[in-house]
Amino acid sequence: MSILVWLIVATIGAVALFFPGYGGLAQFAAWRAMRQRELVEDALKHLLDREQEGRHATPQSLAGTLSANLAQTIKLIAQMESQNLVESRGNEIHLTPEGERWALHIVRAHRLWERYLADEARMPLQKIHSEAHKREHHISQAELDALDAAMGYPTYDPHGDPIPSREGKIPTHRAIPLTAWQAEGPARILHIEDEPAIAYEQVLAAGLRLGQVIRLIEKTPTRYVLSDGENEFRLAPSIAANVHVAPLSETEIARKGAVPLHMLSDGQKGEILLLDESVQGFTRRRFLDLGLTPGALIYPELKNFFGDPRAYRVRGTLIALRKEQAAQIWVKPL
Amino acid sequence: MEANEILQKAAQLRSGLSTSFRDEIVKSLYTEAETIARRAVKSAADRKYDFDQKIDRLVTSPVFGLPIMLALLAVVIWLTVSGANVVSDAIASLLFWVGDQGRALFHALHIPWWITGFLWDGVYRGLAWVVSVMLPPMMIFFPAFTILEDLGYLPRVAFNLDWLYRKSGAHGKQALTMAMGFGCNAAGVVSTRIIDSPRERLIAILTNNFVPCNGRFPTLIMLSTVFVAAGFSGFTASVIAAASVVVVVMIGIAFTLLMSWLLTKTMLKGEASAFTLELPPYRVPNVWRILYTSLIDRTLFVLWRAMQTAAPAGAIIWILANVPVGNSNLAQSIADWLNPFGLLLGLDGVILLAYIIAIPANEIVVPTMMMVYTGASMMIEGPSGNQEIFNLLVHGHGWTMLTAINLMLFALLHNPCATTIITIYKETKSYKWTILSVVITLGTAILVTFLTATVARLLGWG
Repeated sequence: MSILVWLIVATIGAVALFFPGYGGLAQFAAWRAMRQRELVEDALKHLLDREQEGRHATPQSLAGTLSANLAQTIKLIAQMESQNLVESRGNEIHLTPEGERWALHIVRAHRLWERYLADEARMPLQKIHSEAHKREHHISQAELDALDAAMGYPTYDPHGDPIPSREGKIPTHRAIPLTAWQAEGPARILHIEDEPAIAYEQVLAAGLRLGQVIRLIEKTPTRYVLSDGENEFRLAPSIAANVHVAPLSETEIARKGAVPLHMLSDGQKGEILLLDESVQGFTRRRFLDLGLTPGALIYPELKNFFGDPRAYRVRGTLIALRKEQAAQIWVKPL
Repeated sequence: MEANEILQKAAQLRSGLSTSFRDEIVKSLYTEAETIARRAVKSAADRKYDFDQKIDRLVTSPVFGLPIMLALLAVVIWLTVSGANVVSDAIASLLFWVGDQGRALFHALHIPWWITGFLWDGVYRGLAWVVSVMLPPMMIFFPAFTILEDLGYLPRVAFNLDWLYRKSGAHGKQALTMAMGFGCNAAGVVSTRIIDSPRERLIAILTNNFVPCNGRFPTLIMLSTVFVAAGFSGFTASVIAAASVVVVVMIGIAFTLLMSWLLTKTMLKGEASAFTLELPPYRVPNVWRILYTSLIDRTLFVLWRAMQTAAPAGAIIWILANVPVGNSNLAQSIADWLNPFGLLLGLDGVILLAYIIAIPANEIVVPTMMMVYTGASMMIEGPSGNQEIFNLLVHGHGWTMLTAINLMLFALLHNPCATTIITIYKETKSYKWTILSVVITLGTAILVTFLTATVARLLGWG
């Protein structure tokens, strides 16, 4: 009797463990394969990063990035060599064309996901990196193309990093780190490095954002002071190195004198020049749908007890906007 | 092959586009539309437009905006309070007369007493009660509310209050969903669909219940009439009763903002999302549409839902009141058992029992209380006249001002009714948030009444 019970228990246990596709072992194998793939893909990204900086990765740098020990890393490199993804030359590891294609796919997946999470899901910018990092390993080429098309083929991610095209072309970047910025004139923030996360959060906490036009007004070994004409931003030099800027183009300089919408005084008319670059996706479409398009006439009409939000008259309708939203709309006072 | 070439050409051209080309497309659409509109639409000197602007400047003005809003709220509540009483009595006597006839008929047919009792004193009386208590305030409140909605005033409320919601990490449109909640919290929860951001929508759902709905007005009105406006009569009494309901409503709004803020800081962390709100031009309300929307869409719809839950509740109440335990009944015994906990909250066992029974529909709280207090075998209106109710509660059952105030707070803050809970589940599709909506509100109600009771007793007021 008791033997029969044990037999049944053993059979159930064995089925639960060995059942193809669903059993414990199969699940574990699938999990390991996934884990291994994530490792390979993270390694490929690191190699690509290094090559874009004009140097090459080493087993040591790779171990550091993956937070693995050297022995594990060397094993991983050997495996990737057998898959024809990389080749070792001395202490340097080079991507093969095959490896580079895969690496570009991952980078494209990561940045498109970031774009999606920021614009459509409207997740806070501090959180999108880790979420995109999870998602980048689980998307096929076809799905990625569909995502790319649905979002209207964006060229930059929300930090200002270029998104590789389907063919692996990467738009070029002309921004330089703030620490190397010498000019007197205004500069536009084109890229904010999102790794390490702590540094990125500090930049965001200081109130800086992509597309903002700033001026460097003080530069000492201990701090950088920036101004957008209204507020001042203070950054430590190590943090400032993560902010990349470029000079304004000539048309942008011609637009000087533009002010954010909330700076208009009551009844003062303005003409919308442009919507800030930091507004994308859902919010930008909403703005455009409401008639807040470049060239439209706009003026503040109503103000409540608290002074915020204000209602603006545009194209004959009244639209209430909070100060944060109005600050993203640039107008030329008339 | 040609198709491929076209695709390649498109991809190549696309990379050369400026990032703002979508803005340009929308801009050209607007330009085109404006050209057509200018050809087709002739505008005379726009006097209505100027008038609209004057009203807008007044109702959103930094000085008068908030007072006007409060005054409108007070007027709507006063109309509901003073108008509902008259109609309510008439409907109640009619429906109860029908009940008496039915009971007499059953009696004549020699149907056993417990069937007669269960059907006529239980189920029918529960239904009759909900109809007579709920229908009149709804018939006044919903049309008044729909007029404000139709005029285009409600978006101005959202505009006036948005700052408070922004500070609590919520969306200004939450003010609209709360206004809807005055009519019915289930309707309020459904109306949160107008909020795009999922985080802010959840906040609006979880806090909607802090706005007292029509079903809870009768409790608030009874308490403020009997206790706060006790020394007055006629018009003055109704104004004072309405004023105290307005105060309770404002406490509810304060709790909504506080809870939104707490949720933003804990479970629903995040930044306030983009806020854009269109303030439509004022429109002359359409009488037929108002009557249709407020009476058919809202009143009857809400009433029908309440009746579905009131019938079984009426049956349960009758059973509780008619199952003998020792020399009293089941209802009384449960109330005695709940009493120590009730007293801790500055309430009593009967009140808690009434709230447990009234989970399906809050309208029957007062009649259930009266039934247990007077030892009746079915829900009754209680003594006629405020002085008699006052005597029954204060001298008969040891109520104090603290009991009255805490019952008002409890009525304001306690858990949503069954209909609202089901609606919350339907809207969130999540057991977690549904359960949380109950825990948050009930927890707040228990905590707040416990604190006020304890503080009052320490100060010697209890």
